[in-house]
Amino acid sequence: MKQHPLCTDTEHGPTILDLPIAAGLKTEWAALQTRRHFLGRAGKVLGWAAMASLAGDKALRSIGQSAKMAAAPTPEQLRLPHFAPRAKRAIYLFMSGAPPQMDLLDYKPNLAQQYDKDLPESVRGTQQLTGMTAGQARFPIAPSHWDFKQYGNSGTWISDLLPNTAKMVDDLTIIKSMNTDAINHEPAIMLLNTGNMNAGKPCLGSWLSYGLGSMNDNLPTFMVLLSKTNPKENNQPVSSRLWSSGYLSSEYSGVGLRSAGDPVLYLSDPQGVDREVRRKMLDAVNAINHQTYDELGDPETNSRISQYEMAYRMQASVPELTDMSKEPQSTWDLYGAEAKEPGTFAYNCLMARRMAERGVRFTQVYKRGWDVHSDVTKILPVLCQETDRASYALITDLKQRGLLDDTLVIWASEFGRTVYSQGGLSKDNYGRDHHPRCYTSWMAGGGVRPGITYGETDDFSYNVVRDPVPVRDFNATILHCLGIDHNKLTYKFQGLDQKLTGTTPASVVQGLLA
Amino acid sequence: MAVESRSVTAKSNPSTPVVIASLLVTLALLTLPFVFRLDGKPHADWQQFLGRFHPLIVHLPIGLMLLVPILEIVGRRRPSLREAAGFVLTLSLFACIGALILGYLLAYGSGESGPLVALHMWGGIALTIGVIACVAVRPQWASGEAQGIFRTLYLVLLPCVVITLAWTAHEGGSLTHGPNYLTEFIPSPLKRLPLVDTARADTSSAPNSFYTKHIHPILDANCVACHGAGKVKGGLRVDTYAQLMKGGHDGRVIVGGQPEKSILLQRITLPSDHKNFMPAEGKPPLKPLEIAWIRAWIQQGASSSAASLVGIAVPYDAKQASLPPVEDYSSRMAEIAQAASAEGVTMTPVSSNLRDGLILNTIDVASRFGDAQLAKLEKFAPYIVEVELGRTSVTDASFDTLAKFHHLRALHLEGTAITGAGLAKLHALTELTYINLSETKVTTAAISTLSEMKNLKHIYLYDTPAQPIANQAAAQAAATKAP
Repeated sequence: MKQHPLCTDTEHGPTILDLPIAAGLKTEWAALQTRRHFLGRAGKVLGWAAMASLAGDKALRSIGQSAKMAAAPTPEQLRLPHFAPRAKRAIYLFMSGAPPQMDLLDYKPNLAQQYDKDLPESVRGTQQLTGMTAGQARFPIAPSHWDFKQYGNSGTWISDLLPNTAKMVDDLTIIKSMNTDAINHEPAIMLLNTGNMNAGKPCLGSWLSYGLGSMNDNLPTFMVLLSKTNPKENNQPVSSRLWSSGYLSSEYSGVGLRSAGDPVLYLSDPQGVDREVRRKMLDAVNAINHQTYDELGDPETNSRISQYEMAYRMQASVPELTDMSKEPQSTWDLYGAEAKEPGTFAYNCLMARRMAERGVRFTQVYKRGWDVHSDVTKILPVLCQETDRASYALITDLKQRGLLDDTLVIWASEFGRTVYSQGGLSKDNYGRDHHPRCYTSWMAGGGVRPGITYGETDDFSYNVVRDPVPVRDFNATILHCLGIDHNKLTYKFQGLDQKLTGTTPASVVQGLLA
Repeated sequence: MAVESRSVTAKSNPSTPVVIASLLVTLALLTLPFVFRLDGKPHADWQQFLGRFHPLIVHLPIGLMLLVPILEIVGRRRPSLREAAGFVLTLSLFACIGALILGYLLAYGSGESGPLVALHMWGGIALTIGVIACVAVRPQWASGEAQGIFRTLYLVLLPCVVITLAWTAHEGGSLTHGPNYLTEFIPSPLKRLPLVDTARADTSSAPNSFYTKHIHPILDANCVACHGAGKVKGGLRVDTYAQLMKGGHDGRVIVGGQPEKSILLQRITLPSDHKNFMPAEGKPPLKPLEIAWIRAWIQQGASSSAASLVGIAVPYDAKQASLPPVEDYSSRMAEIAQAASAEGVTMTPVSSNLRDGLILNTIDVASRFGDAQLAKLEKFAPYIVEVELGRTSVTDASFDTLAKFHHLRALHLEGTAITGAGLAKLHALTELTYINLSETKVTTAAISTLSEMKNLKHIYLYDTPAQPIANQAAAQAAATKAP
């Protein structure tokens, strides 16, 4: 390495690493230097030379060594799960856009008499509304367009829109008292997924793969399935920020399967490249990567190596995973014919079951379109028709195959919707705005108590009156089912022991547990 | 006091002034509890203020008193230490009297009463009198000029005083930390010793009631230290159902059906900085769930016999369902890891508690994992609680091996070639609760043997001759036996 002309004695000069300071500071400094080094290289030679002249060749190598010490602990070192878990894996059906709870699961029989009356101010209080309805002259109450009936031994009230969900109420743990802090999609969906409204924190799936590790070497630990959008619906965007690993190593990010065409792009080898050539190429690339790692010690280099290897193994495992030709007719009878069409919610539910069978730790299925600001009576039946049967099929299928005992299924959204109508209210139609103060979600399977309804809302499904479940408690409970103490699964970053449930004290909702 | 300190220098039998002074102080101490009776009512604040220094000061006489016999014994070889013993003994007398006064101020000022408080008080008084006696008779013994009874009196008194000291100190500790503090985490073999009384039977409530199982333990953990048989603050005891319902100085604390009138509930739900908040003295407040249970229990009649409450979900009782721990395998971890990587399988701990056992997972090598590979792992059978053999090439022959996994709780055999011949060998697995035989060739006849296994609650037979897909709806109901 060339010596910088202004530097006379870098080879033997002391570096920060030689100073008598705390080892923790040294490793943190070294980690930062490594990142700077990478930036420097991106900026071509200039940064590299500056770095080298500042630190010197030898020092640079020792920086690499100490950065390695700062690398994150492995799952073995984390000693997880903290206690014997009730669930080994989880499937998260994410209803993006926010379903209206009072039309589906939170039965409010008194609303019918309140049709078109103003929502009492005492109920709304000083709440700040969204810009979409804050300017409305009045807040007319819109009772649900659909009837509710009681089902199951638990006598749970379910809307006529969900005839299949109704069949499995005795397997569900329904939470009517969910509430969140955000009133708009992006921050709310972020909060539910990562425990923080701002992007950049790891999501639930990343925490689980970081903490619990893989159960199958040939498939990713955390997979994301996006359902195809229906142009009739109001689809809010979802992005890879939602399954990002944040400050955790990028190998804990969710791996998405595409809803159309090849499930994973470029998974099949190009013409003329057979598996052996691919292997040799990977070996060579890995050798170079290992060399880089030894030199610089950036843990992301290791992530890269493991991701290349995972992609190689997925070349064999993904075609087997997505090949549904061996599914018996009973599968299609259960999930419906649309499950044969890749990208539908039904197809994704079936895929989630296949992933559970194959040891995928966490599968998140996104269904968009629930953002019914208007035209509820036309769009909501479509949404329910797309999701009701498939959700039922998934639970039933897991149950009959003996997978529900140790799989936690979660059906949740970022928030709920208002009881008052957004825009015009008529006997046949209404719209509903975002509502963070209460909404309904459900769980089923390993660790939660089946056949109960937890929490209560007021007569307008506007405020929680009993047993509130804030998002952080919801997440703490999910972690608990998987054997994790949410206060103990932490990662040091920016001077904080970061965790999924954030800094506000969270607690496991004991009433939900089996 | 001055009289006594002078007595240290006396050479012959105790002088008259010393005897008189000792008797006077003794008399004063003995009448104290009758003049200022511990009536369970709090008195002046300054008394409490000073009294709260009792737990601090009380360690002085303990330390000094324990030093005296040591100095006396070691003093046989080094006479200078024996001289010091007299001085230390006198010091300990002052410390004793100081601690006694402060302790009395604490009890009297804060209105504490109850048998444990009384015992501790009498212990303290007896101890002080004992020390006075020791101080009075020691000079004669030490000078070697003692006559008659005084030659041995000190040697008898001193051990008595030390024993009284230990007992009084223990009673005091029980007051502060609760009577079970020492024995709560005692190793289970020692629990059987008659001295250790951990079980406190309460005959006033039914053994399987919600009260006994859920309310009493909350009160026991949070309240009994101050409102129990030992210490009875405010005249209230909550250690038995009968006492709890009787109430304290302020009347009934539990009014069945009327949570808003129940003082106990009021006190535990006050803001935590409120003067009357319970548990007092900075002890941790009750958890929301515990309060919810108490409220629901009062609301629904505060019964001593009701087994369950409407709307109250009792979470999974971990203690009841706890499974026997597997043997400690920490010394064989390297061996286990080596065997696992040799076969390409994983043996991962169920949790950070090693005694929860290991899960054997064969998914990465399913197609080439068969009976022979399973047999190789048999030596780790005592540590394995879950075996996942889904879609492997194991056959019915594997039941011989599997029968040796006596801690097995879950067994996955879905999608294998087994036919169910030899399933009866699994009867040895008494802890088995889950078996998955889906997508195998097992028949109704083959699985009939499983019904004899008491703990086996979850049997899955999806897509088998025993439960063909066609009539799955009917069989689905049968798949999970009623718990």
